[in-house]
Amino acid sequence: MVEERFEDEKTPGEGFEPLIVAYCCNWCSYAGADLAGTSRFEYPTNIRIVRIMCTGRVDPTLVLEALRMGADGVLIAGCHPGDCHYQKGNFMMEKRFDYLKKAVKSVGIEPERVRLEWVSASEGGKWAALVREMTEEIRHLGPSPFKLAQDAKKTDAAIDAFKSQRLRWVVGRSQIKVEIEEEKYHQAVDSIMQVEIERHMITRALKEKGPLTAEELAQLTGLQPNKTVQHLIALRRDGTVNEAGERNGQYLYQLA
Amino acid sequence: MEQEPRVGVFICSCGTNIGGVVNVPEVTEYAKTIPHVVHTEHNLYTCSEAGLTTIKESIKQHNLNRVVVASCTPRTHEPLFRAACNEAGLNSYLFEMANIREHDSWVHPHEHQKATQKAKDIVRMAVAKAVLLEPQTEPEVEVKGSSLVVGAGVAGMTAALSMASQGFKVYLIEKEKEPGGMAQKLYKLYPTLADASEVVEPLIEGVKSHKNIELATSTTLKEASGYVGNFNTVLTGPEGDRELDVGTIIVAPGSSNYTPPKGLYEYGLNDHIITQRELDEKLRKGEIGEPERIVMIQCVGARKGEIRPSELEAFPKSDTAELLRKILKARKEEGWPYCSRICCMNAIKNAILIKEKSPKTDVVVLFGDLRVYKEYEDFYRRARDLEVRFIRHIEEARPEISQTPEGKLQVMVYDALSGMEVTFPADWAVLSTPLIPSKDEIMLARMLKIPIATDGFLMEAHLKLRPVDTNVDGVFIAGTVSGPKDVSESIISGEAAAGRASILMGNGKVKTDAITAVVDEDLCIGCGLCEEICPYGASKIEEGKSKIREILCRGCGSCAAECPKRAITMRHYSDNQILAQVKALLISESSKEVA
Repeated sequence: MVEERFEDEKTPGEGFEPLIVAYCCNWCSYAGADLAGTSRFEYPTNIRIVRIMCTGRVDPTLVLEALRMGADGVLIAGCHPGDCHYQKGNFMMEKRFDYLKKAVKSVGIEPERVRLEWVSASEGGKWAALVREMTEEIRHLGPSPFKLAQDAKKTDAAIDAFKSQRLRWVVGRSQIKVEIEEEKYHQAVDSIMQVEIERHMITRALKEKGPLTAEELAQLTGLQPNKTVQHLIALRRDGTVNEAGERNGQYLYQLA
Repeated sequence: MEQEPRVGVFICSCGTNIGGVVNVPEVTEYAKTIPHVVHTEHNLYTCSEAGLTTIKESIKQHNLNRVVVASCTPRTHEPLFRAACNEAGLNSYLFEMANIREHDSWVHPHEHQKATQKAKDIVRMAVAKAVLLEPQTEPEVEVKGSSLVVGAGVAGMTAALSMASQGFKVYLIEKEKEPGGMAQKLYKLYPTLADASEVVEPLIEGVKSHKNIELATSTTLKEASGYVGNFNTVLTGPEGDRELDVGTIIVAPGSSNYTPPKGLYEYGLNDHIITQRELDEKLRKGEIGEPERIVMIQCVGARKGEIRPSELEAFPKSDTAELLRKILKARKEEGWPYCSRICCMNAIKNAILIKEKSPKTDVVVLFGDLRVYKEYEDFYRRARDLEVRFIRHIEEARPEISQTPEGKLQVMVYDALSGMEVTFPADWAVLSTPLIPSKDEIMLARMLKIPIATDGFLMEAHLKLRPVDTNVDGVFIAGTVSGPKDVSESIISGEAAAGRASILMGNGKVKTDAITAVVDEDLCIGCGLCEEICPYGASKIEEGKSKIREILCRGCGSCAAECPKRAITMRHYSDNQILAQVKALLISESSKEVA
């Protein structure tokens, strides 16, 4: 039996205390948070640190999942550019973070809830100040949209999208030199990200509600009918969905 | 084979460090209700012999297959607890730590209730990860029996000789034409007043003649890569570049001496206004003679100003030395914030030297604070006995130097004791200036990934517990590169760094973390992205599949975060293990019945 922790929590506004998940790299930011302790710098009790070896390890799904589970904020903290214990893990996170932040915004979560910051092992004061600032900011934003029972369809689809080979491939390729202009590449990744999120909304709906028509899918997902049809054509072509008869003169689609 | 997890949770009060804020008994009671926890207890000091024995006994008695210790930071104590688990036959990777001191009690000293709640969360998260932990085998790497020492000052030479006499091959490089460093330029050393050359010359002789030491002067470190036991470096010197593979690196490039900007205390405007270092030189050459009065001013350029966060943030971002020059320039104007430790003794030493040679000379030392630590109090008394005058001024009311129309110096100071302004005509004014970080040191830190502390010096892995280690395995620091030190302290740190490096080289091998990448070959499509992004060349595509060479993998996990097929898992930091902690925090499973 799983009971959602936030059910009995206070309503937004007065006295709301956010819960923030912080992914801290072992070498800089975790140590920086340690130093804040050793130096007895006080800060609000709202943060919970998850130790990882490097921010390079932070798969966007780890952030989206934390938000989906109701975290009011997610902080990713690592070494300053150039200081990475593994040479370039923080740079990789930084690139990935651009896309992640856009995804967070596009699924209806305030992008301010997600932050990437550099805190070195010697910056205990900076860590304390950062936690103070972020806590204050999120107090102001109020509880996570999921605590207010926001529809999670789009976030679930975004998690699926960031698990999908296509999106991961293009995000991953952005870590290495690509032949086309960087700006154009970013645009391409952005559009692929949107497409993947929408397609996963469709596949999720089909998985849950069984064969559906394009019109029904458009209603369920909130996507434009013509967009829905376009996605269905693409999904049929790559073998993800197929037709399952007709209803009211319209094709029914199901997961292949 | 798969056993039901049986977790033991040990919660430490750390005296009152944790127990004074967090309600430890309450957290212990709570821990009993967490799924899979079969044994809990709280200890006054879990890291004590008694605490460790308890862990070992409990593992056997309660048949524990996971251990969670809720105490301090894993960055210092994890190895200790892991070893205890190991001794009781439990794989050390089945241990997890919950940091309820640095991340909780110490930062929330006035929030007892909230800190207790936070401790419960942290423990629950740690248990959630522990349940999913798997035993690991640590790969062993060979450690080359050779060391590169950067900087042939007192610290570097001491370290080099120490390692060489233990039979290790040492490459000692020095950017100047001759070894010796800053100590070579000194005249006498406090408190013995022995010639600095008595210490430095034998060291120079030693490093030049020792058969195990290869000394290269006018040589700097150009590139460094690799990892503990197997560093690949490129040295650059008069004969061009040279590649060198070594097992350990000792960083001992020293520091610089602060030179006041022109005009500060009239420095640079009058030949008789000099720094303590310049006085040293004049005393050596006998150029001071028997003047009527010498006035010394302490803390010139030290213990004032502050390094702005923006300056420090800029450190790692600058690709050229240009920005560093700017920062050093700003500090030059405003001074450095820390106490340089050695300037008080240096002033006293020079005062004594002058007084012993010319008792009639009036030597006046103006100070805001006089810091004579250790046995140097006696040294200070010796100066008092010689009638050196120490006059305390209020820190904010700095002495002022002016020149009479005849070109005579006058030092005006507000004497805090008498409450009066006093003016001293003086033949010499001597400014005591601090040791400051050098540009070279900062560039080296960047190359070797050693963090820079907020005072601009290199940072130790732990100020008290690991004073010559750095955050980079196999790289050690010695001498004033980590902060102002006198000659004896530099020698101590040189010996210490050599000792730490020799442990590695003597063993000839070292176990590295088992935190490495594993590829699920069924999922891998051989796209090669991991090969392209791995900074260590640990991943290679062979026969259409990614093969990870464990020994090269350092465990950053970037490949796992990027793999298009999500075919790569990090040992000890899998997605599941990470998310289990988040889930435990945000979605708590209903508590077990409390018996």
